[in-house]
Amino acid sequence: MTTQPVAVAPPRDQWAKPLLVAVLGGCAFALALGLYARLHHPATYALDVAGFSSPLYAKAWLTTAAVVFAAVQVVTSYWISRQPANPAPAWMAAVHRWSGRLAILLTVPVIVHCIYSLGFQTYSARVYAHCVLGCIFYGAFVAKMLSLVRRDTMPRWVLPVLGGVVFASLIALWATSALWLFATRGVHS
Amino acid sequence: MTRRGPLVTLSAVIVLAAIFLWANTLTAKPGSAAAPTAATSAGSTSPWETAAPSASAAATSGASTSAGNTVHALYAGRSSGDEVTVAIAINGGKAAADLNAGLASEVSMQGSVSGDEVTMATKNGIGLEGYLSGQNMFGTITGFLGQSFPFSAEQAVVEAVYSGRSAGNQVTLAVVTDGGKATGYVCNGKNVEAWLQGSVNGNQVTLTGNNGAGLTGTLSGVAMFGTVSPGGGLSFPFSAELSPHPAGVYQARITVDSLATRIGWAVLPDGTQVGVAVTGQKKYAAPPLDLSNDSFTLGGSSHTASDVTGNQTVVSP
Repeated sequence: MTTQPVAVAPPRDQWAKPLLVAVLGGCAFALALGLYARLHHPATYALDVAGFSSPLYAKAWLTTAAVVFAAVQVVTSYWISRQPANPAPAWMAAVHRWSGRLAILLTVPVIVHCIYSLGFQTYSARVYAHCVLGCIFYGAFVAKMLSLVRRDTMPRWVLPVLGGVVFASLIALWATSALWLFATRGVHS
Repeated sequence: MTRRGPLVTLSAVIVLAAIFLWANTLTAKPGSAAAPTAATSAGSTSPWETAAPSASAAATSGASTSAGNTVHALYAGRSSGDEVTVAIAINGGKAAADLNAGLASEVSMQGSVSGDEVTMATKNGIGLEGYLSGQNMFGTITGFLGQSFPFSAEQAVVEAVYSGRSAGNQVTLAVVTDGGKATGYVCNGKNVEAWLQGSVNGNQVTLTGNNGAGLTGTLSGVAMFGTVSPGGGLSFPFSAELSPHPAGVYQARITVDSLATRIGWAVLPDGTQVGVAVTGQKKYAAPPLDLSNDSFTLGGSSHTASDVTGNQTVVSP
């Protein structure tokens, strides 16, 4: 009985189709989000979370918490991607995954409120950028998840690129919303 | 090797989003989460200064809001975070709004209504987009204090007075609305008069009275156009306008020489009053009404007339 080596270089282009599916899936999701946000009637939705002065602040703090977890994810991504000669502890991969999960789940009530109540607005540059970035963020997240399904066949650059887009767009989202809110109306609950 | 972990995460995100969306459909019902209240103080200021200088008459209501019907109503409400109070008046295809954030930042806007969509703006980039749904309006205020505010507003029922004359100045009339009900009085100040009663449906006003009297009118902006018949086969086209105090319909029931007498007056906003008194079968010019205290003198004694409201019964079958 022969044993296959654990890591076999896949035939060239075997990763192309799964990657294409991942990227196109992400794009489709981003487009769907943007279209729905633009085309539906904005409606009221009170994100009344106890302890916050208003729904706007509840969203801003939820987004800030998500950014904290995303920062943890980015730092652990560095550690777990180091060469096999100096591997990170096994638990760090678990921290990486779970910090990511917490971050994205924290953003879900925020985006549901944003899209449902406010829609895709273009009346100012900040708002326009925020809406576009929101689509990019979730599109990149979907692409990242789909690419992770076939992680072992993906080229090494795919995960850092998609992870980078997710992280960068989340920071930009936070800057165009929570940071702006804290700067113009004060940092408080 | 196909890993399932990422798919679990993706599904969890989608399921959580679906739960929040479903929860939203529970809360985003009229009168709930965003707690609309009648911001009548906000409603009595700027947008209606040209139409009704007094706070008593703003708009008619009893509007039907199915797409395609013209709406005449006053909506009052708040943004979902309670930052801005909103008062919106809709008259036919025109709309006016008053936003107040309580920081001495009050904004008046004007715009239009198309079907069930309301769009308004100011010159400096503040916008309001809303849509009508049943007795409510939902929408978003954008560019106000640098942000956007989702809001909801509820129809507020207001009394309104429309007064005017027939096209050939043969008769003077006044119509008082209260929600979906209305009363009216038409007369020539001498010997032709009729009491009218009926309803307001969307922008259609339909009143009827005794002896074939009636009024059909269409509300358009702050005006009412239509046909009025004081009975007896007469019929005149007329126009009337949303009018502030002292315009209105006034009534008095007294006894003169032991005979029951009913007097009606239609008063125009400039104080012009036209009235007819009826004693038995005799019709004659009504005495002048002192509009400062609603008093008049007839048969040697002083009496008081009363304001007629839209939901009173003035036509006895």
